[in-house]
Amino acid sequence: MDDKKENRTVIEAEVPMGTVHPAALEPYRLRLFVEDEIVRDAEMTVGVNHRGVERIMEGLPVEKANSLTEKICGICSNSHIWNSCRTAEIALGIEVPERAKYIRIIMEELERLHSHLLYLAHGSEVLGHETFSMRLFYIRETVMDLLGTIGGNRVQYGSAVLGGVRPRCELDDNRIKQITDGMDLLEEKTTAFADRFVSDPMVISRITGVGVISQKDAIRLACTGPTLRATGVAQDLRREMPEYDPFEFDVITQDDGDVKSQLLMRVLEIPEAIKIIRQAVRDLPDGPITNRSWEMQDTPITKSYIEVPRGTLYHSYALEDGRVRNCVIRTPSMANIGAMQHACIGHHITDAQLSVVQCDPCFTCTDRAIEIIKL
Amino acid sequence: MDLIYSVIAVIGTLVVAFIVSLFLPGIERKFIHARIQQRVGPPITSPGLMAPIKFFFKQTITPESSMPRLYNALPLISLIIVVILLLFLIPEMYFLGALASVIALVGFLKVEEVMYMFMGSLSRSVMSVRMPFPDKAKGAAHQDTPQTFFEELSSLRAFRLIAFGSFPLYIAMFVAVARTGSIYLQDIIAYQQVHGPILFTVAGVMGAIVFFIGYMILLNEYPFSILKGKPDVIEGPYMEYAAKYRAYVYITRGFLMFTLATLFSTLFLGIAPNILNPAFIINLIVALLFPMLMAVLSAFSPIFTYKQFYPTVAGVSIIGVLAIVAALL
Repeated sequence: MDDKKENRTVIEAEVPMGTVHPAALEPYRLRLFVEDEIVRDAEMTVGVNHRGVERIMEGLPVEKANSLTEKICGICSNSHIWNSCRTAEIALGIEVPERAKYIRIIMEELERLHSHLLYLAHGSEVLGHETFSMRLFYIRETVMDLLGTIGGNRVQYGSAVLGGVRPRCELDDNRIKQITDGMDLLEEKTTAFADRFVSDPMVISRITGVGVISQKDAIRLACTGPTLRATGVAQDLRREMPEYDPFEFDVITQDDGDVKSQLLMRVLEIPEAIKIIRQAVRDLPDGPITNRSWEMQDTPITKSYIEVPRGTLYHSYALEDGRVRNCVIRTPSMANIGAMQHACIGHHITDAQLSVVQCDPCFTCTDRAIEIIKL
Repeated sequence: MDLIYSVIAVIGTLVVAFIVSLFLPGIERKFIHARIQQRVGPPITSPGLMAPIKFFFKQTITPESSMPRLYNALPLISLIIVVILLLFLIPEMYFLGALASVIALVGFLKVEEVMYMFMGSLSRSVMSVRMPFPDKAKGAAHQDTPQTFFEELSSLRAFRLIAFGSFPLYIAMFVAVARTGSIYLQDIIAYQQVHGPILFTVAGVMGAIVFFIGYMILLNEYPFSILKGKPDVIEGPYMEYAAKYRAYVYITRGFLMFTLATLFSTLFLGIAPNILNPAFIINLIVALLFPMLMAVLSAFSPIFTYKQFYPTVAGVSIIGVLAIVAALL
């Protein structure tokens, strides 16, 4: 494989894909340089969907800016608003109540579940397996319903606010029961799916040895999240985050770095997320869900990293008169773009989109203009 | 009187075939795909009947092609070829001799396959090279490399299908020839009327399996959809067809589904399509059964790449050859 990937001299033709392509959920240009339908080199370009969120956030009151970050992504909306709030909380020294921390974890892990299920569904679709795709979307509905029940919305839940969570997201006994029942149902369905998935010889034949990213390449290309863990690196920021200290969970890794490993990574992370949610619901502390006793002040640039479904999410900004300054956001897909290009090389052109999709791209998150204004 | 009978048989069979073929894609999607995928699915008339009707009333576009008129004419030519195929399967047309033989049918099917090559060669959709994007910007990789359209890629794949992909179907057709010792449909049917259907022999069962895989390959159905697949070439040769030309594409596909199933019942059951023969119901059942089986298989399969496609075709072709040998014994 390594020899194949090094052989980049014989280029017969270029097959450009995108920016609009049915196998790609989001707009990007993928230039594939092929020899007899085998990809010898690849070049990926993003940037056609940038909305300049950081620029829009510049000068906004921090509460408004937090709400805006939720609009960055339709899949990991909670991750963005949580990390944005977390940035301000670190900067201002706001103590978040324990109950709010637990609710935030529940929301984040529910988001991880729906993100992973969406990933698997999209991967199956690109694989050409419509039935798997449809069933996974069906399974995902359980999580979407729970998110809708807690947050009042299926995509933009707006749960995190400065100092805690929104009152709408308070968990009463009825909601706790819904979550517990939902997790039981989800576990049953995903286990059945996983059994079916790993025992399908045609699917396994299609995904084994395709889109390989070696551990060495994954580290060299600065991969993050499940994309990195599927190459055997046990790197999960949740282990470093104090919010996750009360919870027991395993960091899943796979060894091969191919599409099979990437898909299995997400399949095996689902029970871990369910485990965390169950613990959070079981041990949910009593008390308030918001801390309002804090004062706004000017702060220097403050950074916050969290582990979101796709990897490490970075937010940083300074506060000046309660307004956001010099905001920078780096999404995990940004770090994984190099791996996406690399994974295509040496494989058939039909596997190119699959090789990209295996890294769980979210280019709508990634496409943002970074503008530095001299004040 | 005989002439009137023959005319009614030919026209009636074609009309019924046309009507049934309009419902086949709907049956495939509504009753099989949708049921397996636990969803409601489209109305039964939607994919095969209502979609072509809708397309006939849409405004057409001038395709980006070196020969747009020829390009637009190709689906109609394909449809005519498929109609001719069915025509020669009807017993009333057997007086044409060599044209109502397995060799002629293979020839017509090959012409139908060549159409995909032409379509692919003549199309230049906006989905790849023509997409407005600064590929050759400063710093871009391999700036001197010629760019290829998806349709060109599809065209090359169509050539590969002609070269080896459709082997299973043609080999299976010759199982009947090997068994009966004649290439003429008339003789093949007469043999089965005396000795019973070829399907109920070992060679027949093997041939039927091979025929079915060939049927799926020729129809470009998942998992054998290398000519038009969502992961890379999208719609492949059909990409630029709009309005009535796309309607022809849909109708041709439905008609080809019916014709190939009828070809199977002629070669393996000894029942030629003739509306005035009560056994025509068997033709209809086979025509319904084939798309349904195909839908089941395609619903549970991912799309194949050459890595899976070559061994499958080779393996199935070997079974086909064994079936011919068994038929000769």
